Amino acid sequence: MENIENIKIWLNNNIKGDRYIWMIITAFGIISILVVYSATGTLAYKRMSGNVEYYLMKHSLLVILGILAMWLAHKIDYRYFAGLSKLALWISVPLLIYTWQFGTTLNEASRWITIPVINQAFQPSDLAKLALIASLAHMLSKKQQKIQEFKQAFIPMLGWCGAICGLIALSDFSTALLLFVTCLLLMFIGRVPIKYLLMLCMTGLLAGTIALAAGQRLNTAVNRVKHFVSSFTNPDEVPFQAKQSYIAIASGGVIGKGPGQSDQRNFLPHPYSDFIFAIILEEYGLMGGLVVLFLYLMLLYRGMRTATYSDKAFGGLLAAGLSFAIVLQALVNMGVAVGLGPITGLPLPFLSMGGTSLLFMGVAIGIVISVSKEKVET
Amino acid sequence: MNIKNSILIRVRLAFIVVFLFGLAIILRIVDIQFFEGSNWMKIASEIGLKYRTVKATRGNIYSDNGSLIATSLPFYRLAFDPSIPTQELFKKNIDSLAIQLSHFFKDKQVKDYKRIIQNARISGRKYLILNNRKINYQEKKQLQQWPIFREGRMAGGVIFEKAETRLRPFALSDRTIGFINENNKGAGLEYSFNQYLAGKDGQALFQKMAGGNWKPVYDESTIRPEDGYDIASTININIQDVTESALNRALIQHDADYGCAVVMETATGEIKAISNLSKVGTEKYRERYNYAVGDQGLTEPGSTFKLVTMMALMQENPELILDDTIATGNGSYRVYDRIIRDTKPTGYGNISIKDAFAKSSNIAMAKLVKKQFGLNPQNYIDYIHKMGISKPLDFQIMGEGTPYIKSPKDASWSGISLLWMSYGYELKLTPLQTLAFYNAIANNGVYLQPIIVKKIIKADKEVVHFKPQVVNPKICSEQTLQNARQLLEAVVENGTASNIKESHYKIAGKTGTAQKLINGKYSRKYYTSFVGYFPAEKPKYSCIVVIDNPKGYKQYGSDVAAPVFKEIADKIYASDIAMHTNYPVKYTMAKGIFPVIQAGHQFDLELICKKLGISQKSNSHEEWVRAQRNDNYVAWQSNKHQSDLMPNVNGMTLRDALFILENQGLHVIYKGTGRVKSQSIPVGNKFKKGSTILLKLG
Repeated sequence: MENIENIKIWLNNNIKGDRYIWMIITAFGIISILVVYSATGTLAYKRMSGNVEYYLMKHSLLVILGILAMWLAHKIDYRYFAGLSKLALWISVPLLIYTWQFGTTLNEASRWITIPVINQAFQPSDLAKLALIASLAHMLSKKQQKIQEFKQAFIPMLGWCGAICGLIALSDFSTALLLFVTCLLLMFIGRVPIKYLLMLCMTGLLAGTIALAAGQRLNTAVNRVKHFVSSFTNPDEVPFQAKQSYIAIASGGVIGKGPGQSDQRNFLPHPYSDFIFAIILEEYGLMGGLVVLFLYLMLLYRGMRTATYSDKAFGGLLAAGLSFAIVLQALVNMGVAVGLGPITGLPLPFLSMGGTSLLFMGVAIGIVISVSKEKVET
Repeated sequence: MNIKNSILIRVRLAFIVVFLFGLAIILRIVDIQFFEGSNWMKIASEIGLKYRTVKATRGNIYSDNGSLIATSLPFYRLAFDPSIPTQELFKKNIDSLAIQLSHFFKDKQVKDYKRIIQNARISGRKYLILNNRKINYQEKKQLQQWPIFREGRMAGGVIFEKAETRLRPFALSDRTIGFINENNKGAGLEYSFNQYLAGKDGQALFQKMAGGNWKPVYDESTIRPEDGYDIASTININIQDVTESALNRALIQHDADYGCAVVMETATGEIKAISNLSKVGTEKYRERYNYAVGDQGLTEPGSTFKLVTMMALMQENPELILDDTIATGNGSYRVYDRIIRDTKPTGYGNISIKDAFAKSSNIAMAKLVKKQFGLNPQNYIDYIHKMGISKPLDFQIMGEGTPYIKSPKDASWSGISLLWMSYGYELKLTPLQTLAFYNAIANNGVYLQPIIVKKIIKADKEVVHFKPQVVNPKICSEQTLQNARQLLEAVVENGTASNIKESHYKIAGKTGTAQKLINGKYSRKYYTSFVGYFPAEKPKYSCIVVIDNPKGYKQYGSDVAAPVFKEIADKIYASDIAMHTNYPVKYTMAKGIFPVIQAGHQFDLELICKKLGISQKSNSHEEWVRAQRNDNYVAWQSNKHQSDLMPNVNGMTLRDALFILENQGLHVIYKGTGRVKSQSIPVGNKFKKGSTILLKLG
């Protein structure tokens, strides 16, 4: 009894903010370790000569690191993130350019740079994404009184969104597009007039095309969209990955094949990342899919609640912006897996294997919790 | 409406949109599972996906100077996915592509290629093998420039499927280089060093296509194959070539069953050549079994073993004097119910021990051994073991035969065993083991394990370096060693192998002619051999030649195997300048003023003489000649020069000398006028290209 009391006191002292968000993230952590363990089964077998535990250990460690990052972020007063995010934004510009030119190439796109000394692959677009959304929330909150003004309020936001999305688009078009859409959404929430947003859409379209042409990804993007469009009329045209994903979903049924029973993990490319939702549906069925979807919507709901109860506009916009960014990416990933959109290379937040993604998603949700703290404490 | 409320309403609006999207995802899952489900399951069962092995590139085998002996070359097979090119690209280029295909493969008409591709495209095929011929990398590069193909795999649909072929640029020493089959069984180096050569295969996802072909799903492998290491052998291609052809010729001449020849570098233990030829038809011999190394090569060596006996005798009795006389009698010597015979029907009578060895007297060996070891045969056997010849050499090629040396405790030991062993019967050795022992004599008593692989290399980096083990650092006393060498030299000097006596350099060795044991009885079939080393004073190589069951009237080691040894030795000696003793060659010029031109171009000189009416004579036609005065005419003698060796330009005109020397890559400076009086680099010396030579004219 005393032990439980002690734990309660410890939790009260150390875990602050929205308890539901904490629980959702813990649930994601557990699901992630389970599914990634299964999805890397074949990969681990092949690369590490059967040492399946290698990826289990590595991924578990990263999940814990992500939660640690979240815990650290939630300890910081969210107002500090206004300045921090601006700093991060400035840092990410040269990083993105460097990555585009000299980064590690995987699947024909250079998205990674290797951090010296610790020799860990790092994806600067994850940092830029977080920084841009936080900065945008800050800019929006500052300009709320004169939000209608084009030059004073809109131009700086436009500049940053254009620059960051454009730089990311050079090597990773789908991430850039998603970020751009998230920014639009955040500006809409932040009361930027609709006519400006429409204008922004037009410029975005133009900039996107230029970035694609200048970058490495034009062919891939065009091909994927083409395949996606033609797949509606001709089932033979369904791309290989999508076909394998559908087979996974169809064979999973309502309750799934059971943990670790996936067959399609052998044939799906990146079953532990881009197509992890297909593996979830195969192993845990429609039910598993519903649970995961529910958790994301729940997370968005809690983020929204945080925004509602936040006293300051910055807090509200920050919580809303980050929650939407996470959940939008999650839904786009799931949409791709079930064939609602063309193939992209976006990971599923909190669930996919991948160091940088887990870390920055952790920080992002930590910030949301930090905002939620404000209300709980008073 | 205040700002906060406005924001909150917008947030909720956005939430609803996201929620609806989530709903769409669920509906789509239900759609896939319940409405399209059976369709996808059917596709799943038909799609035929499988992880297949991607072969690693096998390592190369190199000769001692880095020439390729065996290598794996990539080849490609041309396939095509006709559904990939756009209509525009296809229509515009199909004709020129068909022309290219038809011209390249020359097996179908242009219109046939066009029809095949068009039909495949119309019927929606995604995989079409255009031609089964293997194309090499250069051709692949060429094909990649063709219309449609130049758009690559993703836009043009061209597929190059990689396959590999093992190639041997030199058709040498097949059995030693060896092979490996799909079940990882094989022979020779390929088999023995497979763990290094093979590399690690990778895996990639393949999809089964119509016609039982597999098409890779992605361009890259899931697990990349790791290429095999290269191995650097000690084989010298020139020596190997010489050895193989000499052996082959002798086998044909003697209509023998099989033969083998091995050349070993004395100081390093490196096998420079190894050839094994078995009869495969009349006058046809091929490498089929490694008799030099393997089990089947284990035989009673015969007289070549007498060296071991002599050394045991000398070690046991240092007082033994080789010039002492031994009575070999009338050529037959009765021991119990058996008779030991010598080759000479009337016997050698009383001869010195040295002569007895040189003439290969069995009776002498038997008598000497009986006297020395008769009471304690084990002592003799101990010498054999102590010297190290009874153990296998742990040779780098797998499957080495184990020497068979019996002991007095064995059930098969009989009263005659000791005497029979003394001249090489009732025991078994492989040719390589015999060679290694003789090499120890050549190598001042250091008994080296022969090696055939020097190192294992991974992209210029040495992974493993092999050094020959020392079987025995000193097989006998210095005195015994010197005596043994004397004995071996005597064999060639005035013994059984005097037919291969050579004046330029000395050969030392021993002949062997063993009767073959067939069904427990010694037959009239022989196993002939010659083993030795050269040059005898300063041995550089040792070599063994074995010829099994020669036919015709010549059936002795001296007549059959020894000449092959000499042919190999001669050719190695001729091409290895380092072995030559540098004798300063003196060319004396004809005295007096006639002929004025002492040397030059034969055609020119003959022309001049003809015009001037000088009588001349020549025995041969050469490019370059020297003049010699014979009574009243000029005789032209060959002045041929060997490449690498300094030509003789004395007595030539400057023009001719310059022509010859500069063609040899020398830089010429000269002093004076007239004909060449002296040259600064002596005739017949080795020289480096690009060095300077001074000519004095006068």
